[in-house]
Amino acid sequence: MAELRAVSPSVVAILASAAACDRVAAPSGAIVCRVAPPEVLLVGEVDVSDVHVDEPGAIVEDVTDGWTAFELAGDDAADAFSRLSELELPEEGFVQGEVARIGAKLIVEPGRLMILVPAMLGAFIEERIRIDCAEVLA
Amino acid sequence: MGSLRFEGREVAFTDGDTIASALFRAGVRTFSRSMKYHRRRALYCGTGDCPNCLLTVDGTPAVHACQAPCADGMEVRRPHGWPSTERDLLHVTDSLHRLMPVGFYYKTFIRPRFAWETAEKVIRRATGLGALPPTTAAERSVVRHVRTDVLVVGAGAAGLEAARDAAAAGERVIVCDESPIGAAIAPGAALDRVRALEAEVRAMPEVTVLDGHTALGIYEGLEVPLVADRELVRVHPKRVVVAAGAAEIHPVFPGNDLPGVWLGRGAARMAGVHGVRPGDVAVVVAGTEEGLAHLETLQASGVRIAAVAVPTSLAGRVPEGSGEVVVDGAVYEARGGKTLSSVVLRRGTEGKRFDCDLLVLSLGLAPRDGLARMALPGEAVELVGDAAGPDATPPNGHDGTVCLCEDVSLHDLRQAWDEGYRNAEILKRYTTTTMGPCQGAMCGRALSCFARDRGGTAPAETTPALFAAAARTTSRPPARPVTLESLAAAVHELIDKRTSLHDVHLAAGARVDRSGGWIRPFTYGDWREEYRAVRERVSVMDVGTLGKFTIGGADAATLVDRMFPCRTDDLAPGRTRYVLSLDEAGYVMDDGLLCAVADGTFYLTSTSGGAVRTDARLRDLADRMSLDVHVLDRTAQWGAINVAGPHARDLLERLTGDAVDAGSVLYPGFADVTVAGVPCRAVRTGFVGELAFELHHPRSRGPELWEALIREGAAWDLLPHGLDALELLRLEKGHVYLGQDTMPDDTPAKLGMSWAVSMDKEWFLGKRALERLTELPATRKLVGLEFDGAPADVADVRGAPLLVGGQMVGRVTSAEPSIALDRSIGLGWVRASDAGFPSALDVAGHGGARAHVVATPFYDPSGERLRG
Repeated sequence: MAELRAVSPSVVAILASAAACDRVAAPSGAIVCRVAPPEVLLVGEVDVSDVHVDEPGAIVEDVTDGWTAFELAGDDAADAFSRLSELELPEEGFVQGEVARIGAKLIVEPGRLMILVPAMLGAFIEERIRIDCAEVLA
Repeated sequence: MGSLRFEGREVAFTDGDTIASALFRAGVRTFSRSMKYHRRRALYCGTGDCPNCLLTVDGTPAVHACQAPCADGMEVRRPHGWPSTERDLLHVTDSLHRLMPVGFYYKTFIRPRFAWETAEKVIRRATGLGALPPTTAAERSVVRHVRTDVLVVGAGAAGLEAARDAAAAGERVIVCDESPIGAAIAPGAALDRVRALEAEVRAMPEVTVLDGHTALGIYEGLEVPLVADRELVRVHPKRVVVAAGAAEIHPVFPGNDLPGVWLGRGAARMAGVHGVRPGDVAVVVAGTEEGLAHLETLQASGVRIAAVAVPTSLAGRVPEGSGEVVVDGAVYEARGGKTLSSVVLRRGTEGKRFDCDLLVLSLGLAPRDGLARMALPGEAVELVGDAAGPDATPPNGHDGTVCLCEDVSLHDLRQAWDEGYRNAEILKRYTTTTMGPCQGAMCGRALSCFARDRGGTAPAETTPALFAAAARTTSRPPARPVTLESLAAAVHELIDKRTSLHDVHLAAGARVDRSGGWIRPFTYGDWREEYRAVRERVSVMDVGTLGKFTIGGADAATLVDRMFPCRTDDLAPGRTRYVLSLDEAGYVMDDGLLCAVADGTFYLTSTSGGAVRTDARLRDLADRMSLDVHVLDRTAQWGAINVAGPHARDLLERLTGDAVDAGSVLYPGFADVTVAGVPCRAVRTGFVGELAFELHHPRSRGPELWEALIREGAAWDLLPHGLDALELLRLEKGHVYLGQDTMPDDTPAKLGMSWAVSMDKEWFLGKRALERLTELPATRKLVGLEFDGAPADVADVRGAPLLVGGQMVGRVTSAEPSIALDRSIGLGWVRASDAGFPSALDVAGHGGARAHVVATPFYDPSGERLRG
């Protein structure tokens, strides 16, 4: 079976030149998600005051409030995800694309998958996951 | 064992029965009526290829009765005929061929135009495959995406062998079939072979068997959607093996669609599997060894054989007791009325008539290659088994029905050819041959033969091997009839956005509904009281739905200057400006407020429904102009609450230690303040026409900020307001709702908003178009309206045409009875005539109501109240 639970990672957005984004290093406990050449999201245990981008005009901001996150885990997590998206997941890492018709960010780790969606769609996607994956959700 | 209900009567069925076999056993012979001429249609192919047995089952139209298993209590009915399928008066059209020639629907229903509405209804009643159930809610289907190395379509012997071999080579395999494995195969060696293979592949861990899953098509990618009961499986394979087998050839001769004419597999299955004789006296035309097997099956079931037509190569193998053997004979014609009564077999120029009630045709196989032909050249799709076999289509006879679905005869094809349609593809479009439910499974090859024989299309040798049947028309999905609910799998729900205050609104008893993609409160009980709270005291509204953006980077000022038509270079930090957003054609796409922030960035709001588009347009323009700009969409991150009313400032002062006086939070302007401990950007707005502060705040802090405002606002009898009250509040100020009051081609001038455009700017998006448009005369504009004699509920007037001298010159877009002004007001667009724009208009359909064009705003024209 698969398990679904809400999680609360911190999210920091960095908007800077592609070169500056290339230089962004993940703080311990966070994952670098390159959502666009000039845009990075740091997801996990991260404090915005610890993030520095050496470029005038760059935007570095805690945007945790803008995201709702869920974690899918368990033996049937991949099966559950196949009912939500046509994305092909890597063994590990970051991908983005449509999940239940919503643009989402996905962080894949061994045995679990984190799905981040814009906060105003959190209730909608949770309902969709629980209905569409009912057969395989614990 | 059990029974189904067929048009009001009980029909018993036995284990293993299909709907068709149960009905046939019960004496039903006419299963449908042909689309155009309402000719009787009976069981024919027995393999789910032809359209003859498409019935409505439990409200679902177009179910192949010969494939669908029976279930106790199911409701079955035939879709055609008036007053009934059995006694169909519309059969009279069969004697009116001359009035309904090929393509008559293109030629006949042109004039008079007014007659079309009636003709359309008549045609719809007379044709079609049944009606969609108007009251039945769609069943919710789920979708699954599955990746595999190999998808095998068809679980017959060839498909199972291909699956076994691929799995043995280490590939992940999915094998699918529209029926349970082996269900369509008569008992015997072939079924035994399939059962053995089935056991073998089911034991292989690399193989997933999806029986009861129908492949709808092959899409670029590769992707093959499989539809099943309440499930759509979207398979993404690396390669596809099509093992769909073959249908028996549908020969064309006069009378080939009479009840009693069967293809061999259908007749043999009825006799051998279901134990029901398809007729008493038969003529069998066996062009293959399979045909001889069918002959034996029929004999074993007790059918008397009157004659057998076989080629010379099979003449010596015709079993005893098969009546007269006509070597190298062919069917010349079948005769009959309600059912088949005789068949004329011909050899050379010699013909002989045989009385019979059953004609069984087994002339060879037509590979089911439709799926494979959907693949693009180079895609990894291969045919195996009978699906890859040779095409044995015989030449067409001298007449007969080519297309069973669309009622197209050989005569029709000849006539179309003579009219100049001289290619299989355009013959298809003109005559609709192959465009019915069977998608050419029966008629596709006969059409090709016709075109090829007439010399209209390329010969087989010139086409790639995969498309070996030359001159075939294009094969497209869906390969099988599919319900809309299956296609809508996983897209049943509208995507609803919710603000952080959603639960708070529900707890307060708000009536919520969709607006601009969000679920929003329309009222908390009495919208008029909510209105009065805004006008007389203080109120709050959840406006977290607004689009919210930070625009930063070295070229941020350049981007906003080029994005918006008003001046932005003089916007001092702490000040805001109303901005229109235009497209390249100068049409108004959106509006909002632009705030200049002290750190050199800009904060922008957009309409609730326009946020996604605004984000895309900002980024697009920045990219096109190679600007060094960063756009941070804060719509999800920040909520917003509008605090509005004469006591709005008093309320804020109770909750903040920061200065919120008129000199500290300017109008139009903003300031960053802390309200009830929540960091807020307080933006002065004027949409409702009263002193107002939009408090933009971190989304997670929304509920505590809202509760604090409600609690402290009680001192002024604060009531929250929803969209119902907002509708009147903004209308009294003459503010437009984009989308409701505007048209897609509205320019600022048409909306009376030229004041929001600075044509003296060097360039902004849409400027060139506006320059050209100003040279044209004004033909339409949005105006303020006051109504005389309007109904009490003037909101009903919304959408009503506006007339001058009986001619429509405009339309009401907004209308409300104004509480502040004690009269009915509205907005609407009007067209100019030679005499200019009208000033008085009739409101169509509202009993003499009149509208007068007046200036806006209706309420507080000087704006004193909102400046506070």
